[in-house]
Amino acid sequence: MTGPSGVGIGWRPEIAGFVAGLPGLRFVEVVAEAVTPTGPLPEGLAELRERGVTVVPHGVRLSLGGAEPVDPHRVAHLAGVATALAAPLVSEHIAFVRAGGLEAGHLLPLPRSREAVAAVVANVRRAQAELPAPLALEPIAALFDWPDDELDEADFLTEILDATGALLLLDVANVHANARNRGDDPAALLDRLPLERVAYVHVAGGAEAGGFYHDTHTDPVPAEVLDLVRVLCDRRRPPALLLERDGHYPPADELRGELDALAAASGYPVVT
Amino acid sequence: MSGDLAARQAELVAALVAGGPLPPGFAPAPVDAARRALLRKRAGDVARHWPLLAAGLGAEWPAVFTAWADGRPTGGSLRDGWDLARELRAEGTLPPLGAEELAVREAASRYDGRTAPRPRRRPAFARVGGAVAVQAAGRVRLLRPAPR
Repeated sequence: MTGPSGVGIGWRPEIAGFVAGLPGLRFVEVVAEAVTPTGPLPEGLAELRERGVTVVPHGVRLSLGGAEPVDPHRVAHLAGVATALAAPLVSEHIAFVRAGGLEAGHLLPLPRSREAVAAVVANVRRAQAELPAPLALEPIAALFDWPDDELDEADFLTEILDATGALLLLDVANVHANARNRGDDPAALLDRLPLERVAYVHVAGGAEAGGFYHDTHTDPVPAEVLDLVRVLCDRRRPPALLLERDGHYPPADELRGELDALAAASGYPVVT
Repeated sequence: MSGDLAARQAELVAALVAGGPLPPGFAPAPVDAARRALLRKRAGDVARHWPLLAAGLGAEWPAVFTAWADGRPTGGSLRDGWDLARELRAEGTLPPLGAEELAVREAASRYDGRTAPRPRRRPAFARVGGAVAVQAAGRVRLLRPAPR
């Protein structure tokens, strides 16, 4: 099975019928926690696999950025899902989701410190030792920063990738969100990231609220994010780009329009 | 600041989901925006697990859920919705659709309010706000809807 290529979409049960009807689709991503490795695959996903569509399990609850060692049961689950899907690649976030016995319920940012780099690297290595496929790491969209960052975003990510050999799952909507909320230049970050290590790219919608850009996944992809896809592809076109939508699913024509816009911005064939 | 990442992460999560104080050095407005965003996301997650409860409250759902959940760490979407539905029942503000959903859940599973709900093995009967649900051999049905 080959790695992700071309334009894909996040597979969700709510839009399984729509995804199944995309004739040119070569890859999707599934939330790893929604799949039981020993049970039957979710309805619709097995058919995609039979069609030869690549399915990448995307973890959201591993908490690789937690100061504590990653939970071996969660790693085993992710590994089991990757095996069940014959996945060529697995992805997770550079973030933490729980601490002190409390679940945050969402991906939280790390301090960009040497101590945090060491914690992430140790957890990524623990996960890599069990996973049957290469791991791609995704930087998150953060509404706030820690007060005592020692590294900038590019150095923080590069140190983690260099130390672990992991691939990069770059989310251009997150790059846009962080730059907008910090007042930085998104293209300047792209210039300093190891773009040759990008396994695939996430693209999602968001909205302005309360003076912040929120990476909601429930709104249309804004023009600024599509512009950033073009900027990225001008520098180095990633092997694959994936549209993420979680909730408030629009009519099929609108979803098709977003996939077509992604194909147009990247120069990859349309999948609709 | 080194060697205490675990403690600092715990302080931050407590501030975001359990009403804890803002840890030193963090900018209040962005952390507060993140806290509110977490509550909105959680309201959506719980609504997916308790669709009738959320639908019964309609446009009030985000405000009702957020008021209940603010400062209260999640026990998972299933238990969050269950706890909220029980609290609304106690207050007498549980809408009929929510009463029916709660009756069905109570007939199907035993939930002690502290640990994960467990399926009931024996036939069971639950009455919530006039709604009646029965379970036998693992099959649950609503015997009587809640009065509108």
